[in-house]
Parts: sequence; structure tokens; C-alpha cells
Amino acid sequence: MYSLFYGILLLFSTPIYSLEVIEILGGKASEIPIAIVPFEGSGNISGQKAHQIISSDLNRTGLFRPLNIGGISNPPSNDININYTKWSAMDAQFIVVGKVESENRNTGNIKITWSLIDIFKEKTVISMRYIGKKSQYRAIAHKVSDNVYEHLTGSKGVFHTKIAYVKKFNDKKYSLNVADFDGFNSKPILNTTQPIISPRWSPDGEKIAYVSFEKKKPVIYIQNLRTGKRTLLANFKGNNSAPAWSPDSRKLAIVLTYNKNSQIYIINADGSGIKQLMRSKSINTEPSWAPNGEDIYFSSNRGGSPQIYKVNIENDEITRVTYEGKYNLSPSISYDGKLLLFLTQDQGKFKVAIQNLISNQILKISEGPSDESPLFAPNGHLVLFAYKDYGKTTKIGTVSINGLKRVPISVGNSIIQEPTWGPINN
Amino acid sequence: MYIGGIKLKKSLLLVSLIGLLVAGCSSTPLDVSTEPSDSSYYGVDAATAEALGLDELRGNVLLSQRSVFFDFNKYDIKPEFQDLIGAHAQYLNNHAPARMTIKGNADYRGSHEYNLALGQKRSVAVKEALNALGVDDSQIETISYGEEYADQECQADACGQDRRADITYEVE
Amino acid sequence: MNTPQFNFDLIRNSNIWAILESDYNLQANLFSFLIHFLLFIFMIFSIEWQTKIPNFAEVELWDAVPTQIKNKQIKTEPIKNKKIKKTKVAPPKIDKQQLKLNEEAEIKLKKKKIAEKKALAKKKKLQEIKKLQAKLLKQEEIEKLQDKVLEQEKLDQIKDNLLEQERIEKFQDSLRDEELKKKPSIAIEADKELLAGINSGELDRFKALIQQKIQQNVNNQLCGLDRVELEFEISLMPTGDLIGEPKMTQSSKIASCDAAVERAILQSQPLPIPKDKKLFKRLKDLKLKFHPNGHYDL
Repeated sequence: MYSLFYGILLLFSTPIYSLEVIEILGGKASEIPIAIVPFEGSGNISGQKAHQIISSDLNRTGLFRPLNIGGISNPPSNDININYTKWSAMDAQFIVVGKVESENRNTGNIKITWSLIDIFKEKTVISMRYIGKKSQYRAIAHKVSDNVYEHLTGSKGVFHTKIAYVKKFNDKKYSLNVADFDGFNSKPILNTTQPIISPRWSPDGEKIAYVSFEKKKPVIYIQNLRTGKRTLLANFKGNNSAPAWSPDSRKLAIVLTYNKNSQIYIINADGSGIKQLMRSKSINTEPSWAPNGEDIYFSSNRGGSPQIYKVNIENDEITRVTYEGKYNLSPSISYDGKLLLFLTQDQGKFKVAIQNLISNQILKISEGPSDESPLFAPNGHLVLFAYKDYGKTTKIGTVSINGLKRVPISVGNSIIQEPTWGPINN
Repeated sequence: MYIGGIKLKKSLLLVSLIGLLVAGCSSTPLDVSTEPSDSSYYGVDAATAEALGLDELRGNVLLSQRSVFFDFNKYDIKPEFQDLIGAHAQYLNNHAPARMTIKGNADYRGSHEYNLALGQKRSVAVKEALNALGVDDSQIETISYGEEYADQECQADACGQDRRADITYEVE
Repeated sequence: MNTPQFNFDLIRNSNIWAILESDYNLQANLFSFLIHFLLFIFMIFSIEWQTKIPNFAEVELWDAVPTQIKNKQIKTEPIKNKKIKKTKVAPPKIDKQQLKLNEEAEIKLKKKKIAEKKALAKKKKLQEIKKLQAKLLKQEEIEKLQDKVLEQEKLDQIKDNLLEQERIEKFQDSLRDEELKKKPSIAIEADKELLAGINSGELDRFKALIQQKIQQNVNNQLCGLDRVELEFEISLMPTGDLIGEPKMTQSSKIASCDAAVERAILQSQPLPIPKDKKLFKRLKDLKLKFHPNGHYDL
């Protein structure tokens, strides 16, 4: 009873001021300024130091701006007694500090302890310790990069992953190589005298499928990375090319010609069970499997000029995907199915572009004029592609999906082309 | 979150994973040596040479022309190549055992796979022109090299020589 | 306190008063309610005891045409013709000479009379003209007078109109006053503010400045591709720096996005703050709503 009365009384009393509301729409793509302090004790490591590897990794992503902190006196090596004011004055929002020590003099193992520190909030985000062989120094540094990346962006890092690419020494010498994603520790897994194209790493990380011209016509092989052995997947009459793995690594989409035009087929990884997906007079090639396992994106000139389409495996329905521009090729889908990566011809130049499959907005992220073979990194936030260096030699590099950072991958002076990206190791 | 803490188990696990990765990549590379690059056989007996009309093949002016050229991104046969195709059609029709391979090519612009398909379109275009003149598919194979043997350094408009279909014979 | 139990049997069997008499709890509660209700009514209607507001405007009307001076009919008397009476005279003895003399005398007399008549007529005519002239003059005068009166009338009317307007305005003012007296205290506060000099335009300007500064720092790359919303509450010092930490009241469900938006707020210190104390008071506690990936109007 009394509460009712007071309730009514309140209705007629002076109301309290409510908070002023400010609506903030959108934002601005920017790079987080981060200072990666030289790790204490890294002086006696030959080659690149940990802080250089980490800076280089984070720089590629277009999300971080590693600060130049050369000449800093008394660099911290842990999160005790951090001078937040000093770092704040340098505009650093985060810092990474660490220490390299010998773990065991007999085994020669090293121990790396590091921390990621939030300067705004003045607290440590994470501290970790790794132990490994001296030869694993680079791998450990990449792991630190992965952790920093994951904590600040919420996405998995790809700094520990591998890539493969084709190296052309001359007209008579080709090799297929595997390397760290940044080009270090490169090793050949195939040497031939004929061209190799379209290498594709299986999602389970165990095999690479590729097209070889060693039989005087294009045929598809699958090579096991652990054993080094390979099997011939497809050698049908005419061309056999463009292998694309299904998300579960059990099937591949391939392109066959059977003496006529290029058509897309699905085949089991053991070479059995071939199924034709379409029949048309036009060119159909470059299949790329969507992560839902049901749609396959491909390029076709059925509309007059090359555009990107997708076909549903269940009902064979074909839908057009790209409408802007006259020449769109080489589709690649991100792991979450939201972004389409492709090659587009813009004013005569071939550039890499990304289309948001929900909003259909397109962003060109490279300059051309002869870019090719764009592929997503396994976290969908970096792109690997090939480009002509000064119009002559082809090289490979990464570009961030916001288009802000294009960085080459150095693997020597020969013609480097046709890259592929290995999966994330959990 | 760990503040200065040690996660020993996790780091060991990580190390072993890294180890696996490295081990998996330490196998020796495959070396593949291939056959000589052209597939013509010079050593055939007289009877075969007769059946295949090798003298005519080697001597005729038109038959010695083996390339049909195309415009950028196109695979329609231009009129100036009709005579050439006609001559090869006649040769095939007159020599049933003859086997032809048409190899399509493209210039380096665009992707490797699309150019492979484009080259294929060109070789098929030549095949269909031969079909129209009575040649049966059993005598023709079409393949494509795409841009793999193209000049990678030519300027876009000057890459015309790469946009072609080449005619070769199993026995020449 | 026991809630009264309504016994429906009791209602069916007896009347309300019996229930009331028997249930003391109920009595007490009803009595309490009654008192509160009366207080409530008093509270509402106690505000309304002042002047009743008429729902129409009373206005005095003036006639358009003046009624005081009327057009008098100016009568002109017709000139009466004086009749010349003919007097009968006995015929005299006829004496020829005498007759001649008489005749001559008569003719002279006649002539005299005609001349007199003429003179009289003339006189009369002159008189008439004079009368007419007088009449005209009079009319002129009257007309002048009339004009004067009309002018006066016009002036009077203008005066009256002005008076009328004044009266209406005064009336409207009184109406407004009544309204104001009736409105709840917020309006009075608002008016007080207006009097105090707080400009709502200035408030919006500072809000826009704050919005712009923070927006530039929101690194929306860390918020995925889908539409997300976040809310933070902050408190500011007069320097524009935050008091304490931003308080997140709605998360985007993406940890890196929450962190990026919080960083954007922290990075934007010091926020643009008005020097005016009253304006700052309005801005010192803010609710910030973020839509980092746009889609505002969806």
C-alpha cells in the first residue's frame, strides 16, 4: 500500500538528469603502435634476433606498427618496474619484453621468457616461457608473434605456418619448395625439367597436390610431405589441372578437358569416383572449395568474359558472384566463408581484390600490373600472391587484407611463382 | 593469464609439435628426369614413311607451317589461317594412320590456370576447323601449355607470338 | 501485516458493512487507503485552485461607423411669392383732362410699381442668392466639420485598435502566466537554464567534438565484419581526462573489439570540455554508444 503511494508521488516529482548520450558510428583502420624490445641475452644468437623476427611478423599483418626503439637505454626484459610514462610518451600502446637464456648447458637448449604489457591499462597481458633447441630459435620467436597477435586481435596467428612455391631456375629447371611463411628454411620437395603449376596444400597439412608438365601434358600428382612419396591423381585424355582440396581433405575438384573445353569434376583423393559438375561450351576452371563443403567457386567466361561463379554440389545450381570489372579470375575463399579473394583486371593492370560476400563491397589491395595467384592465409587475414618485380622477374609476397602492408618474401633471385599456404597447426 | 608464471607442460608440448613439423619436412626431394622434349621419331621404316606420306609432310610449304595465331583473350580462327588448316586437313584425310597433337598457348597475362584453359580453347578451335573439313577426332589430340612456354618479359601488346596453337605430328 | 482474506461466502451471505465491522484489518487498510487517496486528490487538485482559464477570448467591439453625428437635412425654404393684391377701386368721374392726368399718373405709378417690383424682385433674388451662398457656406462648413469628425474618428479607431491589441496581448500574457504556473518543475528548470545562459547549440557542438575525437581512434578492424554494438559509461574531470576506468555496459561479444574501443576512449584523453561550468556539468558523465562497423540505420 505504502509503496503504491510513494510510487505515485515519485511520478510527480522532479526527475533526475539522465546521462548525455553520444553515438559513435564507424571508426578508422589503424595500426596498433607496439614496441618490441630487444630480448636480453639474444646477442649471441646468429642471424635475426627474436625482436626483429617478431617485429617483422607483426608488421606484415597491417594491424601493428612496430616502433623504432633503437638506442633505448636499459631495455626492460620482464614486466617488473615498467616505466609506463616513458612508453606512453613514445606513443606505445603495448610493449613486448623478453629474455633468452641457456636452459641446459649439456643439451644446448635455450629458454625464452617473455611478456606482453598493456601501457594504457598499466598491466601485463600475458607472460610465457618456451624451452627448445637452439635451432628452434626462429620457431619460438614466431610462436611469440602468434601469441601477441591472438591476444590483441582475437584471431589465430599464422606466423608458425609453412608455404610452398615453384622456383624456375631456367627453361629446363624447376623445383617445388617448402619454406617458413616468411621464406626462411626453404627446402625443395620436387625437382623437374618441366613446369610445375597450381600446388595446393591439403587442409590436414599432410599432402601437396600439383600440376606437372613432365609427361608433356599437364597431369596432377599428390605428394605426401612426411614420406616424400607421390601418387598420380589424374592423367585423363587432354589436360588435367587446377586441383582444389575439399575442407575435409578427402576429395579434390579438378579441371579436365577430354579433348574439348575445360570442365570441373570432383574426384576422391585416391583417384576414384570421378563426377562431372557441369557441361558447357565455355571455359570453366580454377575451382576453389568454400568452407561449407557445398559450394565450389570457379572462373568462367560463360558470360562473355572471365567472371567468378559458384556451383552448388548438391543441386548443380550455378550463380554468378562478380559483377564489377570485365576480367575476374582466380577465386579463393576465406576460412570463415565471408571474404572472396580474386584477381581483377583494372585499366589493363592485373590486381588482387577482396570482395565482402555479405555486403558485396570490393577493395583492391595490390597495384599490379601483373599480379597473380592470390591465396588467403589460413586465418583469412593475410594474402599470399605473386607479382612481377620491376616488370621482369616474378616474386612472391604477402599483403594484409586491409591493403596497408605489402611485403615481399625473400627466397632468392630466381623466378618465384605459384605459391600455396599450409594450414595452422593447433 | 600468467604473470611471470611458468607453464612447463604446455611449452614442452609446443616444442614437440614444432619438432614434428620440422621432421615431416626433412624428406629428400623427388628428381624427375623426362623424355626428350620433342616427340618426333626420325627412325621409321620405309613402309611407315610411305603410309604417312612423310615426304609430302616434310616438303610441302603449307604443311611446314604449324602455327595459328590469335588475338588477346580470343580463340576464333582468323581467315588468313584457313589455307593452312585446309592443307593439314587434307593431309590427315589422306593418311589415316597419321596422328596430330595440337598444343595451345597463351601470353603470360592473367592466371596460369586460366591461360591453360585459354590455350586449350585455341587448340580445340583448330581441331573443330579440321573436323569441319572431315577429319575425325581419333586422329587429333588437343592439349594446352597455357603460358608456361610463353615469353615472360614481352610488353603486353608485343606478346602476339605467344597467343598460338601449334600443330605437331606423332611421326614427322 | 496480514493481507485481508476475501471470504466470498461472507460476501454472499452478508452485506458489506457487516464485513467491514467484523474484519478490523480490512477496516484499518481501507481507512489508510482512504486517507492516502484524499491526500492524493488534494495533491492534484490543490494545484488547480487559481484562476480559471476561460476558453474563449472576450473582446470589446467598436462600430465601424460613428453614430453621434447624423446627416441633418438642411431645409431651404421656398421663396414665397408675395401675391400683389389687386384692390378694387371705384371708377372715378370721367374728366378727360383729369383722365389724362390720371392716366399719366397711373402710367407713372404703374411704371413706378413695375420698377419697384423689379427692384423688389432683384432684391429678393439677391436675397435668395445670399441665402444660397449662406446655405453653401453652411454646407461647406458642415462638410469641413464632417471631415474633421471623420478624421477624428479614424484616429480614434487607430487608438482603439491599439488599445484592443494591448488588451489582447495582456490577456495572452496572463494566459501564458497561468500556463507556466501550471507546468511541472522541469519547465521551470529549463527556463532557468535559458536564463542562466546554457545554449543547447553549444552542448551539441561539444558532443560532436567528443564524438569525432573518439571515432578517429576506434580501430574497427578488430571488430570483425558483422554489425556489433558496444556501450561504455565514462566520468570526466574538468581537464577532459577520465575519472577511473571506462565502464562497459554492453559488450560486442568480441574481446579484441571491446579492448579496441576501450583503448580508443583512453587514447582520446583529454576530451574536449567546455569551460562553462554549467555546460560541463551536463557533459561530465557520458554514455557512449558504439557501432564500429557502421550499419547505423538498419
